[in-house]
Amino acid sequence: MKKFLSIFRISFQQEFAYKLNFVMWRIRNVMQILVFFFLWNAVFENRTGDLLGYNKEKILTYAFMLLVIRAITLSSRSVDVSGQISRGELSNFLVKPVNFFKYWITRDLSSKFLNIIFSLLEITLLLIFLKPNLFFQTSFLYVVFFIISIIVAIIIFFAISMIISFIPFWFPEIAWGSQFLFIVVVTEFLSGSFFPLDVLPMGVYKILKITPFPYLVFVPIKIYLGNLNYQEILVSLGIGTIWCFILLIIMKRIWLKGLKVYEAVGR
Amino acid sequence: MAKNSLLIWLASRSSLPLFLLGKVIRYIFYFGFLYFLVGQTKGLAGYESNQILFFTATYVLIDTLAQFFFRSVYSFRPLVISGDLDLILVKPVNALFRVLMGGPDPVDLITIPPIIAVVVYIGSLLSPSLLQIFYYILLIINGLLIATAFHVVVLSFGIITLEIDHTIMIYRDLTSMGRLPVDIYKEPLKGILTFLIPVGVMMTLPAKALMGLVNPLGIVSTLIFGIALLMLSFKFWNFALKKYSSASS
Repeated sequence: MKKFLSIFRISFQQEFAYKLNFVMWRIRNVMQILVFFFLWNAVFENRTGDLLGYNKEKILTYAFMLLVIRAITLSSRSVDVSGQISRGELSNFLVKPVNFFKYWITRDLSSKFLNIIFSLLEITLLLIFLKPNLFFQTSFLYVVFFIISIIVAIIIFFAISMIISFIPFWFPEIAWGSQFLFIVVVTEFLSGSFFPLDVLPMGVYKILKITPFPYLVFVPIKIYLGNLNYQEILVSLGIGTIWCFILLIIMKRIWLKGLKVYEAVGR
Repeated sequence: MAKNSLLIWLASRSSLPLFLLGKVIRYIFYFGFLYFLVGQTKGLAGYESNQILFFTATYVLIDTLAQFFFRSVYSFRPLVISGDLDLILVKPVNALFRVLMGGPDPVDLITIPPIIAVVVYIGSLLSPSLLQIFYYILLIINGLLIATAFHVVVLSFGIITLEIDHTIMIYRDLTSMGRLPVDIYKEPLKGILTFLIPVGVMMTLPAKALMGLVNPLGIVSTLIFGIALLMLSFKFWNFALKKYSSASS
């Protein structure tokens, strides 16, 4: 445990070693939220009542929740693994007496912790400047379900990011290409980070619900907003949990297979 | 230079289908979402559905053209920190031209024709006059001039501060706010996007010109603004070059 606490602390300090890098990443997050916020603000201007299942208060809350949820689920250091594999730097790690997955989970948690702190600061500033009317969940049970959905989201994203990061075991030259396609583009859109997924036609939405992506951002926010009833929440959490197990098993298998073909290119 | 860039691209072609696919998916998702949204709302901020789609198509066109032409800006930092910029400065080619446009991105070359087709299609639904089309093309060129000016400024900052990656990404994030007409933003953001970082002039005005919402005086003053910004950026580049220390070379 002491070992992982040290990793947590060092990883946390490393984020501060590249301050500009971190600050820019946060600024970019805020900009994305501003676009989302103003788009929906314009949609609900001069409009009363619901549209696509949201009222103005809830959709603007969705925008603010994006900042927090993205900080918790999508901020991660494990995306660095692909580069380490493609450059052969994984060898340095393999000779150390540390569990690979526990090491990266610890680093991820450290990154999430820092991002959460900053996202809360950003939300405070945005609340002061934008003065929106937001929705606050008061049901204890919904808050508990929301926290569970966040844990599910963290596990799913960790497994997805690891699986994508293992691609360079076989194709070292596409380390960044695969990250771009699967983490930057596909996850961004299909998780609900860009728009609420239920604005899409019902058929598309139903298909998306059986993939793991909505459980990263969209489902936690929907639970927080109270837009799902208890039965829908339990079904969603059930599907999310099943995806956790499936993805973790796939991740472990690919890791073991990958190690067998790892050539430490560049070392 | 473009040929060299293409050869480099062909040498590392294995990851390029992924980038191409990523860009195509991104455009499809974004247009799909906007199409469904404006279909439900019957417009946005006083604009009709097709007008909103046209704003977005115009943004995608200018953004993609700028990425295509100025891709080498993204790889400028290593030249400065290693001192390899010396090798470019001594060559009988304009150094700014070389670092600015020395490596067009062939992936964008593939995406540009369909984007133009989408712009033409959505634009035709707005039934513009010939004069409005002329204004639109003129302001697209002006948008590219402003984009050029920003990339020159980013390069200049790169020489002075050794920082490129974040500056260019911040520029791209700011311009991405032009996906929608800047009218939807509120002050002070709207003022920033209109005067400080003229995203509105770059992205929103061309589309408005096609819709007949910009008068000739507005067009002329916009063009003067674009050219003035480009001239200023050149001056800044010359200033930055004098600060180049040629370290590590």
